[in-house]
Amino acid sequence: MAGGTHARTHRIVYCSRNALRGSHDAIEAEIRQILEKSRANNHRDGITGALLFSSGSFVQVLEGPIAALERTFETIQRDPRHRDVTVLQIAESNRGFPAWSMAFAGNTAGGSCPAAEAAMSAALADPSAASGEQLLSVLRTLVVREDDWALAS
Amino acid sequence: MTAAPRVRADRQAEAVVKAARAPLAARALDGLAHGVFVFDDKLRVQLISRPMLGLLGFTREAVPVGHALAAILERSTGFSAAAAVLQLCAQSVGGDGPTQTHRLDLAGGAAVAMRVCRIAPRRWLAEFEPLAAMPPAEAPAAALSGSDPLTGLADRQAVRERLEAALARRPVLGRPQVVSFRLDLDGFKAIGDSLGEPVADALLRAVADRLRSALRFEDIVARVGRDEFLILQESPEHVTPEAIAARLLDLLGRPYILHGNLLNVGANIGHASAPADCSNAEDLLRCADLALRQAKASGRGKSLAFEPAMQARAQARLALEQDLRKALALAQFELHYQPQVSLHTGRLAGFEALLRWRTPDRGLVSPLEFVPICEELGLIKPIGEWVLRAACQEAARWPDGIRVAVNVSAPQFEAPSRLVAAVRTALARSGLPGGRLELEITESVLLQPGLATLEALHAIRDMGVRISMDDFGTGYSSLTQLQSFPFDKIKIDRSFVSGAAGPEGAAIVRAVAALGASLGMAITAEGVETGEQLDRIRADGCTEVQGYFFGRPVPSHDIDGLIAALALRREPAEA
Repeated sequence: MAGGTHARTHRIVYCSRNALRGSHDAIEAEIRQILEKSRANNHRDGITGALLFSSGSFVQVLEGPIAALERTFETIQRDPRHRDVTVLQIAESNRGFPAWSMAFAGNTAGGSCPAAEAAMSAALADPSAASGEQLLSVLRTLVVREDDWALAS
Repeated sequence: MTAAPRVRADRQAEAVVKAARAPLAARALDGLAHGVFVFDDKLRVQLISRPMLGLLGFTREAVPVGHALAAILERSTGFSAAAAVLQLCAQSVGGDGPTQTHRLDLAGGAAVAMRVCRIAPRRWLAEFEPLAAMPPAEAPAAALSGSDPLTGLADRQAVRERLEAALARRPVLGRPQVVSFRLDLDGFKAIGDSLGEPVADALLRAVADRLRSALRFEDIVARVGRDEFLILQESPEHVTPEAIAARLLDLLGRPYILHGNLLNVGANIGHASAPADCSNAEDLLRCADLALRQAKASGRGKSLAFEPAMQARAQARLALEQDLRKALALAQFELHYQPQVSLHTGRLAGFEALLRWRTPDRGLVSPLEFVPICEELGLIKPIGEWVLRAACQEAARWPDGIRVAVNVSAPQFEAPSRLVAAVRTALARSGLPGGRLELEITESVLLQPGLATLEALHAIRDMGVRISMDDFGTGYSSLTQLQSFPFDKIKIDRSFVSGAAGPEGAAIVRAVAALGASLGMAITAEGVETGEQLDRIRADGCTEVQGYFFGRPVPSHDIDGLIAALALRREPAEA
């Protein structure tokens, strides 16, 4: 993977609201597609991270070399499938998800993760680095415990 | 290159396969030094190499597979042989002849050899070889004219050419012929100022890319000012301009991360359509611009469609400006005078001179309507000087001891020495003693940076002129401002006197009056209209009053009568 363990890495944490409409199946298919695409691109660009989808909101962690992160973030911004993007954290940081091109946590069938949601609403009420950090640690436990079907990378 | 599929039943599958293969093949073509593209029998471009895009003047964007060659050539900027290329490609599709080579002369004296050959059934390859006579460095330069070097977008010149061509074409029934969007960023300057120009440039590139990503390939996106953009859509289908504008505002308003900085900017958009709103290129651009100005006036992140009423408003405003520029020369300004009465003696203390503008067409115009425009147009300095001269001249013929107060606005302090000289001249010419002139300034005057304003105020005060703080309580109302200059008087704004501000207003009047007493400043209450108000502000400790209770502003020829009437009222005022 490009970037390596010694290269300086940054982390971006943001959340956004789902703008997808349709049946649970259609949304699930769409999110699978988002994941596949982002895993392929991230692997190429030396980016790792995690995506949480819960009750109509996304939280995404992106980590890697800053230039590649900025390009990826810009591509994500242009995606009409989400809206109301709030950046919670952008800082130099070690990788929190070194093994995942894009780990996934969440229930695409419309369910929710109460722990993640609590952290998410706290982060939205106070979009600071500390709340981003909190969200990140919740996300990390969720990814490890709950990712049942999409952790293929 | 593969042959076109024989089975046409599943066009969908064909498109998918093509899309999957195209990038790889295009990358292979990019290795060729010459510009090449592949087209089919419908004159649709199936592949195009990067050097070819450069030759056509596209710097940062990809051409979608299957796009009409005519539309691509149309969108090219600075490529002067578009018509010849289209014709030669069409001829190749029509005939089955051998490979042909044609010389094409480009702008700037350059030339290329264009070769078209059939490479598969219904597939042709067009190749462009620079001729020896062409210096290699000149090719990109020629191709880049008409485009903005920073963002790769079109420039103003390209917009004009495209717009005129579009308006000359026959419109598609039921669709607008052309829609023009004018867009500018909100908060852009602050980003350049605080983070530097490289970050600002990166932001402009990101904005350009976001705009392009949200629009059709054939739409024109141009940068026409530092942070101003223009979009042209020819015969847009399905989507309304309002929906496009909303999408662009949403997209541009999303956060940016550039050079490690998290940035947020907003935008405003104005749009107009031809032929509904206007029929020629110049008008269409102007209408979109008018709509943009209106959108900006109505708040951040707004978009507005052009309406004829905007034109009327803009014209009315322009006419007002033109009339105002002539008003001084035509002697259309006049001063009205409102009495100020001392609460200690019950006597007339002076008059405040108030500017009025009267024209044969407009009648008497409110200062609220024209003073801000004079300030914007820079007319307030000469007008302010006229007010000083006229007021001093008028006051010089009043009975001794009656002062005249003149308002001086913040823009007049932009040239402090000119203001000091104007005061000196007005006093000298009229013979009015300095002690009978009072200048009223608002808090905004003291917000100007630097010491020049305070020095000018001191110089004026040294002539014996009194300085008062006007409209106290309506602006920033910082008590430190009262400390920054030894004001002779504080005028409390009418809103605190009228009772509209409630019990808090009365408390503020009492507090300011006490403050004035301890700082040795007189306190004038403005807007006193009734006997009750008079009793209240007298109890609160004010020293002077002004308001309809003692008299409305009157023209100079009514002043003598007013002075006499107020002399008779002296007893009741004291009671």
